[in-house]
Amino acid sequence: MSLSVHRVEVTPRSGDGMVDVRGELIKRSLFNDHNIHVEEVRSILGFLVKADIAADSVKDVVDILFADPIIEIGVCNDEILSDATLFPNRPDAVISIGFKPGVTDNPGTAALDGLKTLHSDIDVHSAVSTTVTYAFHGLDDSIDIEWLAKQLHNPLIERAEVADTRDSTSSFPKLEFPEAPVNEFTPPSTIDLEVDDAELEHISETGILALSLEEMKTIQAHYRDPDIRAARTARGISPNAPTDVELECLAQTWSEHCKHKIFAAHITHTDTETGEKSEVDSLFKTHIMKPTVEMQEEVDWLLSIFHDNSGVIGWNDEWSLCMKVETHNSPSALDPYGGAMTGIVGVNRDILGTGLGARPIANTDIFCFGPPDWQGDLPTNLFHPSRVLAGVHAGIRVGGNESGIPTVNGAIVFDDRYIGKPLVYAGTIGIMPRQLPDGRPTHIKTPAEGDMVYMVGGRVGADGIHGATFSSLELTEESPSSAVQIGDPITQKKMLDMILEARDAGLITCITDNGAGGLSSSIGEMAEYTNGCEIDLSQVPLKQSGLSSWEILVSESQERMTVAVKIDDQSAFEEMAALHEVEATVVGRFTSNGEFHVKHGEMTVASLPLEFLHDGVPQLRLESEWIAPVNEPFIPPSKVDFSEILLELLSRPNIASKETLVRQYDHEVIAQTVVKPFVGKQCDGPGDAGVLAPIHGNPQGFVVSCGLSPRYSDIDAGAMAAAAVDEAVRNAICSGVDPKKMAGCDNYCWPDPIVSEKTPDGKFKLAQLVRANRELERACRGYRVPCISGKDSMKNDYGKGKDKISIPPTLLFSLIGDHPDVRKSITSDFMAPDHQLYLLGESKEELGANEIAYMLTESGRADGIGGEVPRLDDIEANLAMYSSLSEAIHSGVVSSAHDCSEGGVSVALIEMCIGGRLGASVDIENIGDTSIWARLFGESLARIIVAVSPENIDEFEEKMEPHYHTRIGTTTETNRLVISSGNDELIDIDIDIALKAWKSTFCGGDI
Amino acid sequence: MVHVPKVAVLTGFGINCDHETAAVFNLAGAEAERIHVNHLVSGERSLDEFHIMAVPGGFSFGDHLGSGRLLGNRMRFQLREQLTSFVAAGKPIIGICNGFQVLVKTGLLPGKETPDFEQTASLTLNNSGRYEDRWVSLDFNPDSNCIWTKGIERMEVPVRHGEGKFIVPDSKILDSMDSDGQLVCRYVDPATKPGEGITDEALPFPICPNGSMRNIAGVCDPTGLIFGLMPHPEAIYAQWLHPHFRRFETTPVGRPPSPFSHIIDDDTEIVEASRTARDREAERIEWEGAGMAIFHNAIAYAREHL
Repeated sequence: MSLSVHRVEVTPRSGDGMVDVRGELIKRSLFNDHNIHVEEVRSILGFLVKADIAADSVKDVVDILFADPIIEIGVCNDEILSDATLFPNRPDAVISIGFKPGVTDNPGTAALDGLKTLHSDIDVHSAVSTTVTYAFHGLDDSIDIEWLAKQLHNPLIERAEVADTRDSTSSFPKLEFPEAPVNEFTPPSTIDLEVDDAELEHISETGILALSLEEMKTIQAHYRDPDIRAARTARGISPNAPTDVELECLAQTWSEHCKHKIFAAHITHTDTETGEKSEVDSLFKTHIMKPTVEMQEEVDWLLSIFHDNSGVIGWNDEWSLCMKVETHNSPSALDPYGGAMTGIVGVNRDILGTGLGARPIANTDIFCFGPPDWQGDLPTNLFHPSRVLAGVHAGIRVGGNESGIPTVNGAIVFDDRYIGKPLVYAGTIGIMPRQLPDGRPTHIKTPAEGDMVYMVGGRVGADGIHGATFSSLELTEESPSSAVQIGDPITQKKMLDMILEARDAGLITCITDNGAGGLSSSIGEMAEYTNGCEIDLSQVPLKQSGLSSWEILVSESQERMTVAVKIDDQSAFEEMAALHEVEATVVGRFTSNGEFHVKHGEMTVASLPLEFLHDGVPQLRLESEWIAPVNEPFIPPSKVDFSEILLELLSRPNIASKETLVRQYDHEVIAQTVVKPFVGKQCDGPGDAGVLAPIHGNPQGFVVSCGLSPRYSDIDAGAMAAAAVDEAVRNAICSGVDPKKMAGCDNYCWPDPIVSEKTPDGKFKLAQLVRANRELERACRGYRVPCISGKDSMKNDYGKGKDKISIPPTLLFSLIGDHPDVRKSITSDFMAPDHQLYLLGESKEELGANEIAYMLTESGRADGIGGEVPRLDDIEANLAMYSSLSEAIHSGVVSSAHDCSEGGVSVALIEMCIGGRLGASVDIENIGDTSIWARLFGESLARIIVAVSPENIDEFEEKMEPHYHTRIGTTTETNRLVISSGNDELIDIDIDIALKAWKSTFCGGDI
Repeated sequence: MVHVPKVAVLTGFGINCDHETAAVFNLAGAEAERIHVNHLVSGERSLDEFHIMAVPGGFSFGDHLGSGRLLGNRMRFQLREQLTSFVAAGKPIIGICNGFQVLVKTGLLPGKETPDFEQTASLTLNNSGRYEDRWVSLDFNPDSNCIWTKGIERMEVPVRHGEGKFIVPDSKILDSMDSDGQLVCRYVDPATKPGEGITDEALPFPICPNGSMRNIAGVCDPTGLIFGLMPHPEAIYAQWLHPHFRRFETTPVGRPPSPFSHIIDDDTEIVEASRTARDREAERIEWEGAGMAIFHNAIAYAREHL
């Protein structure tokens, strides 16, 4: 029987307690986002079932599979909208949305799985495609329906059909099954590189290879080498020219995304302020790797750094922890939902691919977006920031929640320039036993020649081709849609369960994830362990036939791991995969002949010396020049109501509560989250850091925190980097981290820092990078926080010329650290009245690029944001103070602690009041020799507000005696925060009013 | 009589609270095993080996086609005989969150004396339209015959779901469930006195986080052996997981680590050895969270009846 398509439609029942929630959500968002009122929106889920079963057989399972008979009505091959009993009134407009061919359709995959439960013998080519239809009632005539449809779908991955049905003759839209066009297999070709320079550049550009002329010439030279030619002749592959497979493989492996060429570059650095002229041989080696390697000498817990998918620390004698943070900026710009989801499930795989396999147990997410209330123009092809936020949030939510990994820490930063490229940082912490039952330490991979290489999990498709090279280019209007994917958390979850079981059974010798560059990168990297591999692309399971060899090799299709297994363990491994319904296929084996050898069936399609593949890329030589940027100085207005200013600050997107967004992440799955993202009496005060106790029954825990202050880059990117490290450390200290065991992760997102026609200010941007690295090193050494992993994303620009948008240079610093006893952890909320308040650390005149400066400048009340930016001065003194505070927390004498960041002391205080639903009376006269503005709102680093109950004051003061600390007031039973300086009352604010200001920006005032 | 009951904690296909659910059963004194659904389907393993079954929380099959639907169908069509004999043997079953959704879609809840695997109620999208993680207060029906909830009056516990609205086609069904004691626990206003919070009137968000009929959070079958609830009692197995744990007046400060000494590592065991077993047990109980009562109840039941 041939495959026919049956159309199942399902709509919610109406009646007692029944709500069409999907329709309601559309109605609500049209009102909230566009101020459009619709009387009613009703939703219909569609399933296009392509299978070799009769219509009646599909009809029989409608109420078993597709519709929930209690709450829904389902029909098969009938038009539900034409049913007058269900839809007595004809809608004004109908919009149907479905996926484009080849786009991951998770509900469709699940429906097919469900159909197989009921009809186990259906044809292997059966498929289900899902759609959703919205029927609008009471839609204003002025609303353009095509416009409406655009708000509801992303044309890059989805298709929509609309019908204006106010006219009674028009028919309802009917999406057909999205048949993928048949791909013709193109046999491998060779590319002639014996051409002039212009043609070499042309080849790189048209092929989206992102290779520079110098790199193209290096490749050209390789194919001129007589020894190489002889070896290739012997191998039976084109001796004088690369195959398309080889060129693509080199392009992926040598991409900025994979090779970090800017961080590896030789830089000649000039500082026009100091007259310094110096040479840097690799920022990474000099400022990130060297300090960590030196710190490794001093401690016994740095188990694995830099070379694996994530860095590993020994947490206690039995368990180790690992951490990785990735960015997924370009995909999130094109499809916020899919881009963010693949970001989070992708970094989960980095953890799974660490050592012999670690279990992801916590996610972090940090976003940088354009202002959600942006009213200005938007460049072509870019979404409005509020839509980016909504999509990214949904992607992270689904990716994390469905994978069963709690999202425990994060931040959202807003700045106009992130309209050009949103930043989506997704991080994961993993845990693994330090030793397997067979005695092998888990952080060391143990592959051997002859081990078989499996591809495990999802299949390879046309989606995700050129992700690595694409992200190494700036966004343009023509950015390719094939670089966008939607994640499939359930396929990945099945794979993860299976792989961890295989790890514990001792079946895995080596594992890595398939991310950027696909199989070419994953197998290519693993091959370095044994010095060689042989891959047969004809064995790779495909989503659709007809993919050419190079596409199979470099496709970044999601949910795949590459795993090495000993020949003797193959059947056990395959049985385990079958149990979990996970596809595991042998695609190659490890060799030791130094060759990256790729075959397609019997034909050799690539033969590259591993050494050339991994080390052949020429080192970039770059120049940087620091000229301090000139900013109009920030001069605050003279007559203001500081209480009003504080309320205004609280409602700024950068400070306002994001509780509505954060609560939609599961932050408690695994039953380990002790300090949750929101804390305090009503669970709505800000948490400084996540604290987790991952071993059930054991109160030892760890802390997760982060820091970033991208706007400080407007004055000095060095100060920006130091501030990020200090903020992460300070947040962790406030929760009770052990400062002797902290590890960091550096994530740089930069605008392109290489001088070119498109980037005339490349030298300056590179100088910013140099300064940021120097300060990162100084801060990490000072705080004894080794960087155990990190990543950089160096092309965060949009467009060209005067319309070019470059993001502010942004370093995210993430931190994990040991927490010896989670029962001692404290939070930011005030616990009781009459607690003494202290400010630890000194307040300085450092208002430059502070949130207050931006707020007043953007609204025309000040002329600029310039001035002294917060500096990290005496790190040793800070660390001593932090260590004393941590001790005090663990000896139980501190009741609350909160770090001062955006908005300074006044914002920190009001947040502590909100958390505890208590007031405070504070005098800031003696917290530093500065202006009132700096003491109230300034963001000087290394400052923490602490509350201490009366009986613990003596002990606390004794511990703090050597450190800069100021007694500033007490908590009060009143519901007011009163701040004065000496006899001058500056702020007197009702906590409930502050709460409303703080919550209304993102929570719709819903408190 | 069984002293250490064996618990089958189902896993696979996107179930993701299996680790903590198994760990909590173990802390309560059972021997829990995470067991893949396909091990039972293939017949390689059997539910007969176990005294208690738990369907943990998670996102089985991504909640596609409705939460619990696809795993429910696998159980309904592929494990029907094993489930029938498990229930016939009088063995307790719990479904938490997604597990509750699975048991409802399977027809085991609210269920009949003898399971017929026909769905009679549903759990659907929250009225808010949002998945949310937040803490709620529950009051338990003291007249229920549910073996899982004996002696529990009120519990603070997190909900983490997008489809937790309990619904039946006709509210008369709820009347009869109520008179049978099947409405086991309800969302209540935390400002009420424990035991006095239950009401049939719809409570506002977020007290009732999803718009469930009569604020229902959990129900049992007519025998009281099968229990399902949306909130996560395993997520409050220890007091330190409560968002207000350091606000509890009894919170001790300055005590030595490792309250649950019987599962901690060997090194600590040596230190622990100097203390008496009684002290350790006392500390374990002192730090035990409210959610443990549910697991203790089932184990006590199994010890007495199986």
